[in-house]
Amino acid sequence: MSTPLTHGHDEADQLYIETRELRVQGFLLFMVSDLVLFSSFIFAYLYLRNSGQGWPPAGGPHVDIWLAAMNSVVLFGSGATMHFALENWKHRNFIKFANWMMATIVLGCLFLGGQGVEYVSLYTKDHASWAGSGIFGASFFTLTGMHGFHVFVGVIYLITLLLQATAGKYTFSRYTGLTLGTLYWHFVDVIWVVLFSIFYLL
Amino acid sequence: MAVAAVHAGGIADHIHPEPQGFVRKYLFSIDHKIIGIQYLITAGVFLVLGGLLAELIRVQLMNANGGFMTPDTYNEVYSVHGSTMVWLVIIPMLTGGFGNFVFPLQIGARDVAFPWLNMLSFWLFPPAGLMLYGSFLMGAPAAGWTEYPPMSLQGQAGTSMWCAAIFLVGVSSTLTGINFLVTLLKMRAPGMTYTRMPLFCWAQFVTAPLLMIATTALGAALAALFIERQFGVPFFDPTKGGSPLLWQHMFWFYSHPAVYIMILPVFGIVSEVFPTFARKPIFGYKMIAFSSCSIAILGFMVWAHHMFTSGMAPFLQLPFMVLTMLIAIPTGIKIFSWVATLWGGKIHFSTAMLFAIGFIATFTLGGITGVFLAAVPFDLHAHGTYFIVAHLHYVLVGGSLMGIFSGIYFWYPKMTGRLMSEKLGKWSFWLFFIGFNGTFLPMHNMGLLGMPRRVAEYDPQFQTLNRIASSFSFVMTIAILLTIINVLYSIKKGKRAGHNPWNARTLEWQIPSPPHYYNFKHIPSVFANPYDFNEPLPYRGLEEELTDSPAPMGAH
Repeated sequence: MSTPLTHGHDEADQLYIETRELRVQGFLLFMVSDLVLFSSFIFAYLYLRNSGQGWPPAGGPHVDIWLAAMNSVVLFGSGATMHFALENWKHRNFIKFANWMMATIVLGCLFLGGQGVEYVSLYTKDHASWAGSGIFGASFFTLTGMHGFHVFVGVIYLITLLLQATAGKYTFSRYTGLTLGTLYWHFVDVIWVVLFSIFYLL
Repeated sequence: MAVAAVHAGGIADHIHPEPQGFVRKYLFSIDHKIIGIQYLITAGVFLVLGGLLAELIRVQLMNANGGFMTPDTYNEVYSVHGSTMVWLVIIPMLTGGFGNFVFPLQIGARDVAFPWLNMLSFWLFPPAGLMLYGSFLMGAPAAGWTEYPPMSLQGQAGTSMWCAAIFLVGVSSTLTGINFLVTLLKMRAPGMTYTRMPLFCWAQFVTAPLLMIATTALGAALAALFIERQFGVPFFDPTKGGSPLLWQHMFWFYSHPAVYIMILPVFGIVSEVFPTFARKPIFGYKMIAFSSCSIAILGFMVWAHHMFTSGMAPFLQLPFMVLTMLIAIPTGIKIFSWVATLWGGKIHFSTAMLFAIGFIATFTLGGITGVFLAAVPFDLHAHGTYFIVAHLHYVLVGGSLMGIFSGIYFWYPKMTGRLMSEKLGKWSFWLFFIGFNGTFLPMHNMGLLGMPRRVAEYDPQFQTLNRIASSFSFVMTIAILLTIINVLYSIKKGKRAGHNPWNARTLEWQIPSPPHYYNFKHIPSVFANPYDFNEPLPYRGLEEELTDSPAPMGAH
């Protein structure tokens, strides 16, 4: 917690202000294209699901809604902790920020663990290869797997942000990186709302 | 990120020194101008390779019973030819090449928004090309550039390589799109409002979201195909519950907008060339800009017109037919605007201008056959025939490639400081124009008579037409070689260009050729649009630019 409080109107500071808009804009556009990626696979899933064979396909595995629901609670909880982390940063409380960040990271890992448990159980129930579950495997594993990969990347992203904040990269008035990280984490949450609805509830 | 990338004003006037050493200066450069030239050179190499494959196709089709290649090899050759031309030549040249080099100069920026990302975009591109050509070693993709399943599922290992290669180009395009969009939104010089941007910038501005959004959808399709091929997870295989039509939806949701990725920047190029060489303000500036936007939006809504014969739900055919035909309206607006720009102008027939005029002629014909094909009854007849081949080559060669050539002749002096040979250029244009029409005009006829595309052997009744097409294709090849020779020859021997050989009025022509590393000594301000040829130049703050012009490339 060495430098977040220091201020200096040096060149780097000026550069930061002038490139902030660019970085925010670029990040938002990146998320738009990421959204298109998810939308394409969701379209593919709905297309296959409505191709008239019934869902889930006969003989295929059934998903465990309770495990997924618990997992969802974990992920939405991590969205809340991330929010608290950013709020505490805005209120200049570094210790609380770091604690909430660590909580978020732990919850993110828990979610990944839960997904692992789900995959293993589906795999063993299916008694066949990953591919054996047909279009169920195609759409379910690709979409949730892609989301899981985003969570995994997100966890690494958050760890990096925490380390950077500890090393004094952000000040209490300049923390665009943290805002973008929060945005990414909420984005992953929102995608999960959609995936949970279409795979488990629908 | 270098300070050179910062928005105008304040610290932006602080200029970092140019990196020294070959590697940082020319190989892993973060300078948008060098990256643009890198794109052009790399895509130029792939143009030669793709052109060679095209000639192999034409040699094979000289005789009705083929005989030059086996049908399997022939399938591989035309598949890689198509993939090369779309993803490794036209799109990288127009967006990565001209886009990178020209538009940051035109809006008065020091670089694009994310120079390092730009470098990454470029360096994803050559490996992708190597992968595509490497696939020949393991059985290249053989189901056409569209790789429809279930055929592509049966293809050899090279098809998976194709997926990975195109995915890589796709990531590169997406990053470029994001980069360009942010640059155009946030880094315009003071006074450069949206209605004062040169039309080439408008074209890139409209293309960037297409790159960003459509290409991601293609990435999803390619990932699905790759997963299916490698792990047997069925998305597209009907015997395992998948749907081949799903591929067509996902693929064309990208590839129809991709058609506009390949033509909108060309509209931008010719919109710069026409007013400059007709010495007249462009007619209907706003209409040209806004019609680009409506083309882009409509482009996302018409993909299924590629699927009229594929067993898609019939009630979808009418809306897709009408929406497709609607695109002719904004396109027509542009063509009339260009003709009106030429009307009564003092036309200077330089090579760039010739290519641009040739573009209007051939692209219009390609566009009109596009309206024919939008009509479901006609499409049912012409689908899968050489009429489609003729149509798409009129749009992509007569449209995109002509525009690219026009752009090369137009901006070459800015890139190198030297002029290309006009004599060689005019030979190149006329041979190209004659060769191109001689090659592809007969194909309309072949298609209407019923010759199917993608066949290695055909009915002898088409032999005469095919021989005409093949013979003219050699003329076209010679024309392209002449331009390549011209490019190489002029680097050393071309006449010195000075900073503004065409007396053009957009911003990039007001600074030295080639421009400095940091583009502008001071970020200029803009107070009018660039096309009023009788008014003084609409820029302030350029007084010092030409005081110590660097020596042109290769001057020693």
